[in-house]
Amino acid sequence: MATLTPYSNKSILILDDLPEMRSSLRSQVGSLGCERVAVSSNVKDALEQFKSNAFDVILCDYYLAGGTDGQQFLEFLRTRNIIGRGVLFVMITAEKNYESIVTAAECLPDDYLLKPFTADVLKMRLERLLEKKQRLARVDQLQDKGDWVGVIAACDVIIAAKDRYLVDAMRIKGNALLMAGQAVEAIDFYQQVLTMRPLPWAKLGLARALQKKGDATLSVAALSELIAESPRLMAAYDLLGKLHLELGNADAALATLDSARTISPNSLARHRAIASVAEVQGDFQRVEQALDQVVKKTRNSPLRETEDIARLGNALTEMGEPAKAVTLLEEARKNFKEDANNPLMAAVEAIAHQKAGNPEKAEAALERAMNGDLAKLPPAVVMTVAKACLSAGKQTAAQEIMKNLVQSNPESTGLHAQISTVLRDSGAGDVAETLVAESIREMIQLNNEAVVRARAGELALAAEMLTEAALRLPANMQVVSNAAAALLFDIWKNGLDPAKLGKAQMFQQAVMAQAPRHPKLAEIDELFSRIRSKYSPVQK
Amino acid sequence: MQFVDLAALTIHDVKNRLAILASRAETRGDGETVHDALTAAATLTQLLLFYKAEKGSLSVDIDARVPADLLEELAMEIGKQTALTVAVSVGEAPTLWFYDEALVRMVLLNAIYNALRHAVKTITLSAHVRDDCLEFTVQDDGSGYPPAMLEQPMAMRSLSREGTGLGLYLASKVAALHSNSGQEGSVELRNAQGAVFCLRLPK
Repeated sequence: MATLTPYSNKSILILDDLPEMRSSLRSQVGSLGCERVAVSSNVKDALEQFKSNAFDVILCDYYLAGGTDGQQFLEFLRTRNIIGRGVLFVMITAEKNYESIVTAAECLPDDYLLKPFTADVLKMRLERLLEKKQRLARVDQLQDKGDWVGVIAACDVIIAAKDRYLVDAMRIKGNALLMAGQAVEAIDFYQQVLTMRPLPWAKLGLARALQKKGDATLSVAALSELIAESPRLMAAYDLLGKLHLELGNADAALATLDSARTISPNSLARHRAIASVAEVQGDFQRVEQALDQVVKKTRNSPLRETEDIARLGNALTEMGEPAKAVTLLEEARKNFKEDANNPLMAAVEAIAHQKAGNPEKAEAALERAMNGDLAKLPPAVVMTVAKACLSAGKQTAAQEIMKNLVQSNPESTGLHAQISTVLRDSGAGDVAETLVAESIREMIQLNNEAVVRARAGELALAAEMLTEAALRLPANMQVVSNAAAALLFDIWKNGLDPAKLGKAQMFQQAVMAQAPRHPKLAEIDELFSRIRSKYSPVQK
Repeated sequence: MQFVDLAALTIHDVKNRLAILASRAETRGDGETVHDALTAAATLTQLLLFYKAEKGSLSVDIDARVPADLLEELAMEIGKQTALTVAVSVGEAPTLWFYDEALVRMVLLNAIYNALRHAVKTITLSAHVRDDCLEFTVQDDGSGYPPAMLEQPMAMRSLSREGTGLGLYLASKVAALHSNSGQEGSVELRNAQGAVFCLRLPK
């Protein structure tokens, strides 16, 4: 028999826009002995509740007032890491079949509860779901930490037990294999799952694994078959669209995403995906159409994304409507304080102002865009800041930013090509031909010189050079890991230095967080242990 | 707005009201009203599913499920609504099986509501594997299906013995949607010390 999970100590949030449903749910939950119950009528209020409370269980109605629904709310919570995987999210709906348009697995609710249901059924369901959370607690924690190798091991334990959580563990393990970069193992694993039963999530996993392994054509074939069988699996369209793009087939990508939108016309994610492809294609009319809907739908919702407004502003500017873009961006900046210093929005605003003939306002916006540390921003945002510099005639600043971009992302050939195109379009044809190659050459030279210095015994100098480069290019894992190794080698040879040791640890952690399977990590570990054994008396 | 969209919204609205009604009745221990509200809601669900089945857009979401959990949940839900005994036999149920829980629940619930009208003392819900198929059965201890009904081809039968036949039609559709690697899902009716409704879902 099932063991009873006491929920008197569980904290529960109820979210429903109908007052009668709220009080009905509240009394049902109350009859189970739950004392810590919060109730919200809308997403905004619910998000406020998260600021002061941590919830164990969320009971959310699918239909919510104010242009949003429970699925959008859940996606927002999960993608922003407002709730961990250990939090139970139950979607309450009248018709499961009517709404179950499946997005990514991590954005699925733990369960659907179909109205009407009795308090007894709610109780039984919650008990079983809480038991499951308990069984998967360790796996959930490791997933939240991004320790995918640990997740795989923890799942294997559950899989070996062959209990009722077998398939849950399999699903998580497949994803963990992919996240850990073990594409070949993932292919084997998913094929094994598929012999058990041709489940859509396993087919999608196999397609993802094939893509990661580099078999784009096989992956496209698998996805096309999957979409024919499970036309409501949105994640399949997203991946297929991405693959078409990778294969240079933007028209096919757009057609794929369009058919997904027909099936799920209310999904914000659909419109955003279409906008991304249209951006790559340079079809800004499509971008504008798609994002205009997203911005309108989320205008007064806490689920709004600053990025949507920035990208819409960019599309308007590209379409030759900079005045419209300025109005949109200024309004957003006035209404939402947190947007005021958003670098992407500020950069787009700078370009729009420049095109609209307000160079002074453009200057002010550009200053806001360059306020923070650009090295910490995603490449696409930094690229927009560089474009804003170019539009303001600041060639030197733009080229400096682009050089850093290339050196931070030495393997992103797509980004390199984009940089060359942007420079060429700005009229700097000669620089366009050389900037990428020069930047890469400079980085290789720096690395080589550090090696030469190190071999010559000038370990401190080598470490210093690489440290400086690592601080300038925090996204370049080769530079950052080399800096860590150089610092440690210097310490091992020349004596313990707390400042250097601290920096080496910081670099090591950065690599572990961004590239947990980086080959240099083993060498860094080895150096740490050598240092420990050499200086162990000092540490005591 | 098309009729079907309006109908879907209306059904949604009515279900919300029925949910509130059921919850209120449950609070005061009025099992009979809970039963009426839940059966009414189940009928609406079937209506919507029928429309989708006709349009060919009835889709399944098959995943690993625990048959014993489903039957225990149904037995508890129904047990509170009736003076009859609702027994569960899951000793031989597999730990996991693959099916769409929402659809299978709907089919079984309808079979149970039907059994409630004919049982004398007991309804037995069971899950077990036979010939590589999971069999969910709902058995009552009444007088059984009339022979004429068992002789009819499946498509013509009316599950409720006096109803529209919608329930059995949907049950067959749902069973068919669960076919896997050459094996068909199916519905069987038979008599054995009462009526036995059997939903067979292949491995």
